[in-house]
Amino acid sequence: MKTITVLIVAASIASAQWLDFPTPGVPRMADGKPNLTAPAPKTADGKPDLSGIWVTKAGYTGNIARDLKPGELSFQPWASEVYKHRQETQGKDDPQAYCVLSGVPREHVVPYPFKILNTNGMIVILYEALHSYRQIYLDGRKLPKDPNPTWMGYSVGHWDGDTLVVESSGFVDNNWLDNGGHMGTEAMKLTERFHRRDYGHIDLQITVDDPKAYTKPWTVKLEFTATPDTDLIEYVCDENEKDLKHLVGK
Amino acid sequence: MIGPFRAIGIAVIALSIPVSGQWLKYKTPGIPRTASGDADLKAAAPKTPDGKPDLSGIWRGDPGGYGLNVAADLKPNEIQPWAEKLYKERLEDLGKDSPSYRCMPQIGPYVVFGMFKILQTPSVIGFHSEFNGFRQVLTDGRPLPEDPNPTWMGYSVGHWDGDTLVVESAGFNDKTWLDAGHPHSEDLRVTERFHRKDFGHMDLKMTFSDPKVYSRTFSMDVELELVPDTEVLEYVCNENEQSVKHFVITEEDRKQNRSNVKVAPELLAKYTGIYEMQNPEDPKGKPISLWILTEGDELLTQMNGAGPKIPLAAQSDTTFTVLGGTVRFFTDDHGAVTHFTMQAVEGDFKVLRKGDLPK
Repeated sequence: MKTITVLIVAASIASAQWLDFPTPGVPRMADGKPNLTAPAPKTADGKPDLSGIWVTKAGYTGNIARDLKPGELSFQPWASEVYKHRQETQGKDDPQAYCVLSGVPREHVVPYPFKILNTNGMIVILYEALHSYRQIYLDGRKLPKDPNPTWMGYSVGHWDGDTLVVESSGFVDNNWLDNGGHMGTEAMKLTERFHRRDYGHIDLQITVDDPKAYTKPWTVKLEFTATPDTDLIEYVCDENEKDLKHLVGK
Repeated sequence: MIGPFRAIGIAVIALSIPVSGQWLKYKTPGIPRTASGDADLKAAAPKTPDGKPDLSGIWRGDPGGYGLNVAADLKPNEIQPWAEKLYKERLEDLGKDSPSYRCMPQIGPYVVFGMFKILQTPSVIGFHSEFNGFRQVLTDGRPLPEDPNPTWMGYSVGHWDGDTLVVESAGFNDKTWLDAGHPHSEDLRVTERFHRKDFGHMDLKMTFSDPKVYSRTFSMDVELELVPDTEVLEYVCNENEQSVKHFVITEEDRKQNRSNVKVAPELLAKYTGIYEMQNPEDPKGKPISLWILTEGDELLTQMNGAGPKIPLAAQSDTTFTVLGGTVRFFTDDHGAVTHFTMQAVEGDFKVLRKGDLPK
């Protein structure tokens, strides 16, 4: 459940308890520690292999757009009001607090690890948070014209050199892009550019194009760090749920 | 919304085949096809570049009667009395306390019941289910941990035995139900053997070991079918949840569910036979066959004449209940049984009598 500070602390404690089985095939330094600056691995067909367990750079959970300069993110008037309301009420209506999925791109700003599985026709990302997964089709299909709206959206990817370009649409109308309440609507189109610059790091650039909520597209940059020698742990949002009655806002 | 899985009585058996028809009809690329363009489900099973069978694809499995009674092949004295008592109580309560009705996961091996997608990489095989999130089977050579943190889905490792993927799982908590109500302990171990026979078919044998509750191991055989040209849908159990408050069982309900109305043996004999229904979600698929048979003074049903026999509790000469679902038999002008109806949330399903049981 939510509450930003507690969540960050709890996440790090929980993962430390988990198995520390050494991940086979990881490049290592003389002392046996993973060498995170080794070259990025490739798949059999020569494309970068994004596989592994990743954690996003801290600091963006509450505000995905924190690095933007004033004016770079410009709300439509109604969206500005909604954002203000969400801030003032401390996010009490956050769907994630009700154990509905975090969705995309929020899964990449919350402090939970995720595992990327990379195969020929598809990439799947397993998210520890809310025990959910996202599919990215690499089989050449186009985005569907009128997909059924979902929290994860519909995603297709292609390679631009060493960068995986993922385009997504088909999101629900009440998406939260971060814990602070930046919104996404059914009009949202996302473009994500994943670049694994070495063994231990992926640079991700996200462009949010949602004319219903924002007057122009905006772009943010995130960074993932590889966390070998561990694994995802089970996250069951509903179990022994005691929080909702305390989420009253102001 | 609370999931449809294992919802009500036999209705579940039919309805655990999910809403596949609604999703995109995008043709799965790269699969073998017949001259007419349909997926060739009898083509050879594919291999990965390292020569292992490739289990990838969207699959569908159905536990049949084992979904209601996983321990059907055990004798009463092979189950701890407290466990059998708990099972009966849960049946009478129509499973109102089932964790899966509260959006809790089922054990990892059960992701195969319903639609799921396998994605195979050399070090991990991912199972992606509609209602159960994901399950990982780690195939990087690690052993099962000796004392894993108990989880709902358990911890799973896999290895290849020839062309068969053998998955061993442990580290379960003791909260999940193995069927309509059989419990298990934290000592539960499950072994699965997956064998992809051809492009469209995979045999699965699931074996359970839990000596604290069951004095010997027991198994179920499941046939998995590939489902081409579709997708797994997003399933968000909690969204707009309105069901739990209606899960109320009265003493009257309990009484009905353990009814001891006696029906004349010659009347019961008339109801026996082979019945068929078309799954409304899959109008072109193979019809579902239900056998109705008798043992002593009890009427029972069995899927396709195999696996567990599920008792029908008599409410009157023509009406019976199974886990809260109502079954009603109908006759023609000459008194011959023509069909029965099965009550489900969507309405009554008509199940036609096709013939006598084999001698």
